[in-house]
Amino acid sequence: MSRINDVGGMSGFPPVVEEPDEPPFHADWEAHVLALNGALIRAGVYNLDEFRDAIERMPPEEYLAASYYERWFTAITTLLVEKGVAAPDELALPRD
Amino acid sequence: MTDLAPGVRVRTRTTDPDGHTRLPRYARGAVGVLVEEAGLHPLADDRARGRGGTPRPVWHVRFTAADLFGSGDHTVTVELWADYLAPIEEDA
Amino acid sequence: MSGDHTSSVISARVRHVEALLERRGLLGSGEIDRRIDEFLAGGSPVNGARIVARAWVDPGFAGRLLADANAAIGEVGLSMAGGLQEQRLKVVANTADEHNVVVCTLCSCYPIALLGPSPGWYKSEAYRSRVVRDPRGVLRDLGFELPEGTRISVWDASAESRYMVVPCRPAGSEHLPEDRLAGLVTRKGLIGTAAV
Repeated sequence: MSRINDVGGMSGFPPVVEEPDEPPFHADWEAHVLALNGALIRAGVYNLDEFRDAIERMPPEEYLAASYYERWFTAITTLLVEKGVAAPDELALPRD
Repeated sequence: MTDLAPGVRVRTRTTDPDGHTRLPRYARGAVGVLVEEAGLHPLADDRARGRGGTPRPVWHVRFTAADLFGSGDHTVTVELWADYLAPIEEDA
Repeated sequence: MSGDHTSSVISARVRHVEALLERRGLLGSGEIDRRIDEFLAGGSPVNGARIVARAWVDPGFAGRLLADANAAIGEVGLSMAGGLQEQRLKVVANTADEHNVVVCTLCSCYPIALLGPSPGWYKSEAYRSRVVRDPRGVLRDLGFELPEGTRISVWDASAESRYMVVPCRPAGSEHLPEDRLAGLVTRKGLIGTAAV
């Protein structure tokens, strides 16, 4: 099924805007998400196509509302659950 | 059966697979020309399902914007697994 | 601000998941910080600029670069092996008649191990959706007006290759040495959304 990531040729998105003096990451956690994903792929927990697939399976409204690295983190936690590494409640922040 | 080789005209798969694929929707069912082989890799569709699979050819396939979108004077070259491609038998 | 709140929540969630994975033995202590440092020290547009400058001054190198970029960039001490695995690099060169532009419509494929992180606009739906259909309009959004007669070739990084553009050597740069030429090349030029 065509997925929300498959946007080539679609109309309706805003003009392309360039951010002046854009840093490599906008927050520390973004760099951590990138490094975490690389570590999990190298460790063989999942492969790059499974990772892409997990991003693409996001509900369209969540995908479009999420920032780039929010999508990555969603996919990482989805796969950690599906691969049996952790239960959803273990991945959630403990309530205090 | 025509072999895949530079210059061969191909039509891309029209089906909408149920899962991960690397054939963009805008390039489905379109006619393009093979430009160059881009290495051998297991099919991404299979790897996304956790299956390895044997490496198979990937091609740069050039489409005209007019064929893809009905307008435009540019070309778009998409990198596609041979699994997505069928050579067009040229009529005599 | 809600944006700061969102950021602090996700920041805490990321730290929480990292700590869990360390306890499970899937992450080494300090591994993430080390990987971030390696990433930031690895790829850079400067690498692309060096390759382009060499291609401008050495037609033999330019030919080898277009034929087999992975082998050719070894001549300037670079490689594509810095990422998760060695990826195929496909280099395309602009000419007076033809201009190349790179996109990944399905996700955000980019040679980050060689060129560093891609710019935010490259990853945006706005760019990914429109550049295959209206490249001239997208270049205009990014402040680059291409001459009317120039043909445009868009490359969609939809499989395993990663792409880099060799811009046209600017007029008037004939007497510049290679290192000065490299200083003219921008990250946008290497994607094909600027002249150099």
